[in-house]
Amino acid sequence: MALQPGFELAGPLGAVPERFWLALSVFLLAVVLGLLVVKINASLLRRAGLPETIEGTAFERTARGVGTSTVAILSQLSGWFIVILGGIVAISVAEPSYAEQFWSQTTGFFPSLFVAVLILIVGVVVGDKVELLLSERLRSVKLPQIGIIPTAAKYSVFYVAFVLALDQIGVSTFALVVLLALYALALVVFGAVAGKQMLSSAAAGLYLFLNEPYGIGDSVKIGDEHGVVQEIDVFVTHIEADGEEYIVPNDQVFEGGIVIVHDD
Amino acid sequence: MTTPADLLEDLTDGVDAVFVFSPSSGFYERFEESDVEVVVVAPENAVDAETYVELPLPFENVRDRIRFGVEGAMDRGIVDDGDEVACVVGIFGDDHDSLVRVRVDEAMHSGVYDLFANSRADPGVIRDVFEVVIELGKKGQKGKPVGALFVIGDAGKVMNKSRPLSYNPFEKSHVHVGDPIVNVMLKEFSRLDGAFVISDSGKIVSAYRYLEAGAEGVDIPKGLGTRHMAGAAITRATNATAIVLSESDGMVRAFKGGELILEIDPEDY
Repeated sequence: MALQPGFELAGPLGAVPERFWLALSVFLLAVVLGLLVVKINASLLRRAGLPETIEGTAFERTARGVGTSTVAILSQLSGWFIVILGGIVAISVAEPSYAEQFWSQTTGFFPSLFVAVLILIVGVVVGDKVELLLSERLRSVKLPQIGIIPTAAKYSVFYVAFVLALDQIGVSTFALVVLLALYALALVVFGAVAGKQMLSSAAAGLYLFLNEPYGIGDSVKIGDEHGVVQEIDVFVTHIEADGEEYIVPNDQVFEGGIVIVHDD
Repeated sequence: MTTPADLLEDLTDGVDAVFVFSPSSGFYERFEESDVEVVVVAPENAVDAETYVELPLPFENVRDRIRFGVEGAMDRGIVDDGDEVACVVGIFGDDHDSLVRVRVDEAMHSGVYDLFANSRADPGVIRDVFEVVIELGKKGQKGKPVGALFVIGDAGKVMNKSRPLSYNPFEKSHVHVGDPIVNVMLKEFSRLDGAFVISDSGKIVSAYRYLEAGAEGVDIPKGLGTRHMAGAAITRATNATAIVLSESDGMVRAFKGGELILEIDPEDY
């Protein structure tokens, strides 16, 4: 019969070894798989509400400026990862001796590079978002220097992402981690020392909120102050008597106890 | 022969200040060069004006709007008794279409500005309550007109001068006026009898309160019902502000110190 198997071709194509065809199909498979992953990832990220969450961050705005979006970048990154991995596998199939030495170095390094880039992108986006949220919360505070807090928070997140990414690709980050630890320790110590009273007041206020042992309108005695409760918030209780309003920190309620006067 | 420009000349002759209501930035820039004082009265200071009076409600009644601006400026010492001011306002729509000349006078002090700025409760809280009441007045409860009485500020004293009519639905809750959910809740609860008590910071302390303050010496216009009387009486006995939605004529009235300060028609907003 005239029918011949397809790959036993005559001419120059017939000289191509079979494993090259295998390598080519592996690579093509990887490309198809990569495209599929790009599509699926993009729709997954979109369905998870990522575009709304990161709207207005600097990274997203930059991405939009060059005609793409964070979702596209993230999903394409995973696609490229698969395509490049497919390429490496294809090369190793076609030319085992060449790939062997390449495999041990590049391929082992490749996934960590991918993760590092991913961490960096996520870190940048999260940092931007943190800055945005904080500055929105602090907008009502009329203090010019308040702008430093969102910025500091943003760069803290950037720093952590940066250290994590460096750690992924195997750069020694010990010094940076020590710096980070010192920074965190300073924050905690500073916060604990400066905000001790606030923290204990807030803890007491939480109890008062949940249990409401006294409410607005009750006649009470906290320490030496005696009056009618006008307001209770997380940190303080306002009590008023004869036109004088005392603002008592809530931890004092726990320290000295409170007397609820039932009849004057 | 008098031309329209001459009429304007008469109106603007020798004014001490110009009050511009809700100007756009382009409109405001035209005034910047002028040598008289320019006061911006607007819901927010969008033009970064130096002298600015915040308008908590977009008063539909132009008299109220001007009164609020002038009283606010008087309170801050921008203008004094006897000054002449020119007010540029829009009566029909948002564009500036009218010029009103007003003589600043202690006697025109109606307390509209004090109602918001110098009450015990935060200005924002009073504004939020106004918004809820105006919406309630517009829509009613399921299409039927409702009445409501809100007592804002000095909640401790108000609670001691009132008693519960039934269980307090806001017991152990921590909701504040202005929270979106609250508008719905208040509308539902507005068919209950009695008053709502709201603290200085806007926390809803109680509903279903029967106000027991004595009404001796309270002078409010004849024809208003018991709800208004109760609201006026409690503001005389305490430092609170009362905002009343009338069930019969649908008007929103604010009382302070036992007196009617402001009357607005919710349909205008």
